[in-house]
Amino acid sequence: MKIEKLLHKLQAFFNTDNHKKRQHIEELKKILLKLKKKELKITHALQQADQDCLIKHYQTELEIIRAQRKKGIEVLHQLKPPKT
Amino acid sequence: MPRALLPIVISLLSYGFWLSDAFRGIAAGVSIFLFGMLSLEQGFKAFTGGVLERILQKTTDTSWKSFGFGFLSATLMQSSGLVSVITVSFLSAGLLDLVAGIGIIFGSNLGTTTGAWLIAGLGLKVNIATYAMPLLVFGVLCIFQNGKQLKGIGYILTGLGFLLLGIHYMKDSFEHVESTINLAHYSMSGIKGLLIYTVIGIIATVIMQSSHATLLLTITAVSVHQITYNNALALVIGANIGTTVTAIIASLGANIQGKRLAGSHLLINLCTGIIVLIFVKQFSMAVDIISAHLGISVADPTLKLAIFHSLFNAVGIVIFFPLINQQVLLLEKIFTEKRPTTFMPKYLDLSAMDFPETVVESVRLESIHLYENALHIILRTFGLDEHDLQQNDSLAQRLKHTGDAIEYDIDAAYEQRIKGLYSAIIAFISQAGFSWQMTQSAKLSWLREANKHVVEAIKDTKHLQKNWSRFRLSSNQATADEYHKIAYQIALHIKNIETFRHELESNELPLLSLDTLKASIKNDDLQMNRAIETLIREQKITPETGSSLINDSAYMRSIKKNLLKAAETLFLYGNNGATGVEHQLALNETEINDVIHSVDKR
Repeated sequence: MKIEKLLHKLQAFFNTDNHKKRQHIEELKKILLKLKKKELKITHALQQADQDCLIKHYQTELEIIRAQRKKGIEVLHQLKPPKT
Repeated sequence: MPRALLPIVISLLSYGFWLSDAFRGIAAGVSIFLFGMLSLEQGFKAFTGGVLERILQKTTDTSWKSFGFGFLSATLMQSSGLVSVITVSFLSAGLLDLVAGIGIIFGSNLGTTTGAWLIAGLGLKVNIATYAMPLLVFGVLCIFQNGKQLKGIGYILTGLGFLLLGIHYMKDSFEHVESTINLAHYSMSGIKGLLIYTVIGIIATVIMQSSHATLLLTITAVSVHQITYNNALALVIGANIGTTVTAIIASLGANIQGKRLAGSHLLINLCTGIIVLIFVKQFSMAVDIISAHLGISVADPTLKLAIFHSLFNAVGIVIFFPLINQQVLLLEKIFTEKRPTTFMPKYLDLSAMDFPETVVESVRLESIHLYENALHIILRTFGLDEHDLQQNDSLAQRLKHTGDAIEYDIDAAYEQRIKGLYSAIIAFISQAGFSWQMTQSAKLSWLREANKHVVEAIKDTKHLQKNWSRFRLSSNQATADEYHKIAYQIALHIKNIETFRHELESNELPLLSLDTLKASIKNDDLQMNRAIETLIREQKITPETGSSLINDSAYMRSIKKNLLKAAETLFLYGNNGATGVEHQLALNETEINDVIHSVDKR
């Protein structure tokens, strides 16, 4: 029993990098989800906007969020191991 | 003068002008005289850090040298008032210290007594007003030349010219007053006569702005026996006290040092006058003895008056010259400098030094204090305040009402609200001295940078203020509109940062939401430059105004960037508000530019 516990601890120690990686991926997914929600909110606001300056403002904000999401998805692909 | 009093003073002056031609002349004389003072001061400033300082340093480095300088100048210029006026302007320009200034005053008091000798002995008098016109002509000629020093000489010459012209105007306007003072009708004896004639001497000199004029009047009157010799002595004492008014008028436009010097002139001459009044009999006897030694007839009261004038000024010097340092202390007590209340650090406490995290938090809070003061300065420059950011009316509307706003003194505000705090923060960070391996060291380094951004933003605002003040009320509507747009965009940016700051708790992606603000800086800059190009092309503004606008839009961009960088550090990094993953997704400058161009192409 004691040896089994020790082996578990050793496995966890050698897998620290993987654990951190998984945590990172989870955090990234959460942020991408928040960005997605924000994107939908701004898209809705853009549809409602009737002033030129507001439309321009929302368009810029939307493009910023899209660029951030695109960047996040690229990072996510790099972090995830390719499926075999 | 309080601004509320200005309409009353203008009304009173206008009434006086309507009532009396002489009053108009006197007021014009005083104005020209004061303008001369300002011009003289500006001229001397052109020489600071150069020749004049060296000359003055060599000629006034000891009290006796200052005395000699004062004596020579007053003898040559034949006016102790003029010497004291010039000395006041030297002091105001920071070329002299008060001790040297008082030394010059003592010298000029003795130097001016040569005038009485000239009047009484030679019957000559240098009419200083005749020098005014050539001085003005040469002065203006020099002002229009290139070169700082030539311009400085020009300002000094015009300053002197205006001083003399001012005195000339005052004298001219009082010509009829002078003719109405018939001293023969008021001859008095005893202490009463002594005191009354001293007061008359003071009033006459104050009115005529020249002790020489009073001396001339007195010596002439005593020579034709219109007044008694004793009354004449009192008039001379009065003239010596009254002559200090020239320096007092000059000090109205001077700084505290100038006011102290004028105070010193009054103090010395008044105290000497009182002493002479008390011991007038002994002085009179001394004059008789000296006259006998010099071979002057007892029946010649004119030359005896000149001896009396020189003697009592010499006695004043003997008594008060060794007390110069005590006088300086007294004057510094009487004329205390009103310093603007400076902002003191609120959070920096040396007892926190042993706790690195507390040090970082103290510096962060103090830096936020500095940042808030900077926002105040920037908003006030455009006639707004923090309250305006919270109003429901649009900022553009608020800015329209700042049309008549008086130019904000950024330098004074910087001294008051920023300099002390910034220095205290930098000193506190330096004292922390953590090892560079510590996380707190990196945070302190970021905070130091944030403070630098805040100060940079104020410097940019100062550069921008010059043209904002010049063009915001331009008759060219397009120019005025563009400058209002600059002010509006800066205020809006501050408002957006403040909104971001106050909604930080509820903001799920604080760092990423800053990218929108960064993009708006870039976008506003792009739109502004495009608008300026169009205005130039359509000839709605001149290329010169266009280039000013391009420079000022660059200042606008810099102000916004600096404030955002400071806010990012102060409210996010310092607060541990942003996660590492957010940093990975934040856009860099190139990516933001790409977004802007893609939106712009639509």
